[in-house]
Amino acid sequence: MANERLRALEDVEKEIAMVLQCAGNIVLELSKDKQNANLLERQLVQFQSSVNRVENELGGQIRYLTQVATGQPHEGSTYSSRKDCQMALNRAEYAKVKLGELGRTCEVMLDQQQAS
Amino acid sequence: MATQRALPQSKETLLQNYNKRLKDDIKSILDNFTEIIKTAKIEDETQVSRATQAEQDHYEMHVRAANIVRAGESLMKLVSDLKQFLILNDFPSVNDAISLQNQQLRSLQEECDKKLTSLRDEIAIDLYELEEEYYSSSYNQWDSVDLPLCEAYRRRDSWASPRSSCSSSQGDNEDTDGPPTQEVNPQIHLNGNAGTVPIEKS
Repeated sequence: MANERLRALEDVEKEIAMVLQCAGNIVLELSKDKQNANLLERQLVQFQSSVNRVENELGGQIRYLTQVATGQPHEGSTYSSRKDCQMALNRAEYAKVKLGELGRTCEVMLDQQQAS
Repeated sequence: MATQRALPQSKETLLQNYNKRLKDDIKSILDNFTEIIKTAKIEDETQVSRATQAEQDHYEMHVRAANIVRAGESLMKLVSDLKQFLILNDFPSVNDAISLQNQQLRSLQEECDKKLTSLRDEIAIDLYELEEEYYSSSYNQWDSVDLPLCEAYRRRDSWASPRSSCSSSQGDNEDTDGPPTQEVNPQIHLNGNAGTVPIEKS
């Protein structure tokens, strides 16, 4: 859920860039001697729709935040489960080290046997 | 729709400020763009000479274009502030993120422990066989206090059914005080003294 809202805000950023780009394209087209009416129409429609989308989306986000914001800091954390997971990984690493030592010891014994 | 709760003054002021910035920036973009389009219209009658009028229109368009860009950048800053506010104050999504992360970490820990437990069981089986082989050979050197694992299991089985013959493959170094009165609970000690079990004497 958090990612969706943040992703929506990133889309809004792209829309804002689109607004400026459309405005620039329209002015560029108007500066030419022969203007392409279709292109102007398309760019204008896109400009208006982008502006409306930006306004609606940002207004919606602000309304949502007005409802859910409490003013208090959030005190949840993932520390305990992260610590437990870290200890489990340490156990696995320790077992791996010990098995490695055991393997090396067996190899040394076999080499000695073969040498003798 | 839920009614607005009593937010702390700073948060409410902040959100109202966000609203104001949004409306002002959108209005700035639309107004300046409309004025640019109006200025682009060529008029036959002008109060000053065409060159002067053209220069004035050019400057005005520059300023309005700069205003549009400034409003766009202000909107970008607003989006960035909203993202920050969302991350810090959107409790439902923060709770979801925390519980998801906890769940992932816990499942990773369980999987790790499950694999370690199965590894331990496999090694215990191999160790049992190796001990049986070793202690039944001529190289064994165990005393009466610490029994090898295979011997401990054998004795446990013989105590469980007293009529069964307690056959031990080691004839020497046995405890001559008689069978212990307490049951031995053979536990696999994998750290350090692997495979040996201390007997509690009565």
